Amino acid sequence: MAVKIQIRDLNFFYGPAQALKSINMDIYENKITALIGPSGCGKTTLLRLMNRMSDLVPDTRVEGQVLIDGQDIFEKSVDVVNLRKKVGMVFQQPNPFPKTIFENVAYGPRMLGTNDKQALSKIVEESLKKAALWDEVKEMLNKSGMTLSGGQQQRLCIARVLAVNPQIILMDEPCSALDPISTLKIEELMMDLKKEYTVIIVTHNMQQAARVSDYTGFMLLGELVEYAVTREIFNVPKDKRCEDYITGRFG
Amino acid sequence: MSSIKHSMKKVGVLLSSTLLLAAVILAGCAPASAPVATPQAGELSGTINEAGSTSVQPLAELMATAFTAKYPKVTVNISGGGSSAGVKAIAAGTVDIGAASRDIKITEPDVIPVCIARDGVAIVVNEANSLTGVTIEQVAKIYAGEITNWKDVGGNDATITVVSREEGSGTREVFEEYVTGAFKKKIKADALFFDSNGAIRSKVASDKNAVGYVSFGYVAGLKTLMVNNVAPTIENAQSGKYPIVRRLYFLTKSVPSGIVKEFIDFCRGPEGQKIALNEGYIPLVLK
Amino acid sequence: MSKISDSVLQPGCELRRVYDGFWRYAIYLFGAISFIILLLIALFIFREGYPAFQKIGIWQFISGLRWDVSDQAYGILPMIIGSTYVTIGALLISVPLGIFTAVFLTDVAPQMMRSIIRPAIELLVGIPSVVYGLVGMLMLVPIIRQSGHGSGDSVLAASIVLAVMVLPTIVSITEDSIIAVPNAYREGALSLGATRWQMIWHVVLPAAKSGIIASIVLGMGRAIGETMAMIMVIGNSIIIPDSIFSPARTLTGTLALELKYAAGLHWNALFATGVVLFVFILILNSFGFLMLRGKNK
Repeated sequence: MAVKIQIRDLNFFYGPAQALKSINMDIYENKITALIGPSGCGKTTLLRLMNRMSDLVPDTRVEGQVLIDGQDIFEKSVDVVNLRKKVGMVFQQPNPFPKTIFENVAYGPRMLGTNDKQALSKIVEESLKKAALWDEVKEMLNKSGMTLSGGQQQRLCIARVLAVNPQIILMDEPCSALDPISTLKIEELMMDLKKEYTVIIVTHNMQQAARVSDYTGFMLLGELVEYAVTREIFNVPKDKRCEDYITGRFG
Repeated sequence: MSSIKHSMKKVGVLLSSTLLLAAVILAGCAPASAPVATPQAGELSGTINEAGSTSVQPLAELMATAFTAKYPKVTVNISGGGSSAGVKAIAAGTVDIGAASRDIKITEPDVIPVCIARDGVAIVVNEANSLTGVTIEQVAKIYAGEITNWKDVGGNDATITVVSREEGSGTREVFEEYVTGAFKKKIKADALFFDSNGAIRSKVASDKNAVGYVSFGYVAGLKTLMVNNVAPTIENAQSGKYPIVRRLYFLTKSVPSGIVKEFIDFCRGPEGQKIALNEGYIPLVLK
Repeated sequence: MSKISDSVLQPGCELRRVYDGFWRYAIYLFGAISFIILLLIALFIFREGYPAFQKIGIWQFISGLRWDVSDQAYGILPMIIGSTYVTIGALLISVPLGIFTAVFLTDVAPQMMRSIIRPAIELLVGIPSVVYGLVGMLMLVPIIRQSGHGSGDSVLAASIVLAVMVLPTIVSITEDSIIAVPNAYREGALSLGATRWQMIWHVVLPAAKSGIIASIVLGMGRAIGETMAMIMVIGNSIIIPDSIFSPARTLTGTLALELKYAAGLHWNALFATGVVLFVFILILNSFGFLMLRGKNK
């Protein structure tokens, strides 16, 4: 089982406040890894460090390493733009651009320099199929992405990420704004996606983590309290705090 | 029928205003005829409102300051608006004195103009210009666009920047009357137009190829050209040698009386005329 | 039941209703006053301008090439073209500059620079028009003259001065509409590997499009209406400019230059020019506000 991402002694600060405390973690290729924990525990912060979206917040500081395929992403030589092409992200709120469905998916490839209409069409179709959205939208590719339902929008955003051909997909509570049926669809989609991609998901929904993930990390107050195979975390948690959280005693 | 009536009325207006004008000019562009017994200081009181020509305004303000210094109980308010506005205001009775920097037209309402000073208009160029004099005909041709290069009037080889006042300006009217109009020419449409003596002065002072015309009071920093070999000086204007001269008027609705009369007499008297001379205007001929 | 209806009928309640009604109508009245003032101004301009349209003919007035008061020739085509050129020229400079500045302020500049540049631009609004004119006259015009293209008073000089004057309008409205673009769009683009520039160009600006167009239209209204600074740097020649170095005259410039001495048909013709301007600006502003409203929907 190959390790895709190695996190080594990672500390992260917002100004003087420490948000992550010496995190050590190996994330495995072609698996779904879930990060759970109460609000403010640092799980989203950790997720956003993996494609350096954390750079957007001013006055922050990183210590330690995040190695993807052995390469430290915080090294000066790393091109953050290339990193983000390799590490895609799906957000809590579906955020399609105010463009057509086609243009939403074609956006990434266009930026990478693909302008050939046929090639783009092919990428758009494949990506939408992978995101299990093709059948619903193939007749209306020129309609605005904003006209779709919330669940469809989220799958459109996933298709948009897939179109740039990433290796890792980060999902930040991708279902929190969706209804149960849409949630189920996204979960099925994730199971498909892990065949080709490494998926990391932040979720508040413990059933979801239990259903879809292979590994689960429980975080609290900036620390990775427990990290193991999902089955173990939910059945035989080693840490008392983790057990309390999972059984619903706090959080 | 109606057209005859109309033209008759026009003739009437023409006659009456011409007569008035003639009367004023005869009576005087010489100073106030019968010297009034100077009233005791402090005797006069009240408020005089004046409005009209912006060319008259600076002079009127100085005269008013001197007048109120002499009679502290009198207030004189001077405002601008332009000659036409001055005529309209006095005709409508909204002010006590109107001001105009041009003759009253026959199409305008009946008012009584009283000359308070005269103003010469000088042809000015940049100080770097080597030219010293021109003929009126040359100036007319420059303004009509028939002469476009300084070398054609004896200067350097450079395109002339023609700078003029805007349509309706009193300064422009006198210029048109004595210069372009005298040769049946018109100021060309592609001349540059500015709306004050000050603006013309700054334009000509900054552009070494410019020619313009301004009141005598505004020639500082500029080079004035002799016109037909006559320098634009107050003496030459007063003696009638320098041709481009206009009259500045105070306007009243009826024969002035009370403090309005006192003020106009003051302006036309030695004290007022001294101010006019100091400011570069041509004073009325003093006895 | 009976208790409630009793309390509704209490005299205090009646008084409150009168009081409330009074204020409602008072506010209507204040709202109406500003509209009535506009209406009166329009009415006055039309009344004074109407005789000119009647005597000259609307078409002859608008398409006439000559403006010669001594000949009673009143055609404002050169001024319409002059105003149009200057406005277009100003927008060609101020729109790119304004959009870049707004983008710079919202998405690029560090907080320090932002807190210096934004007030500086807002300060531009407070500078009197005459000061712009003076700076243009004493600095810009001589520079253009020294470049060897005529007297320096020109469409170019006017466009540059005007561009600076409309810049705050364009920057502030564009900035507002860029700020209104949800951050999620930015994150979405960046997470796909967009560079900051690609994000701004492909996602942020298109999303802010209607606000930007509104800013341009409102800036245009300001540009056409601007007078004082214009007459100081444009030369005011009554010709159709044949290059950016040529002098020209604007519609508002004609009014400002000639109104104080005008009488008779000249007076009416100047007000008729005002009518043309009024209609121009009315159309532009309605368009601009429609765009703004479209954005807020």
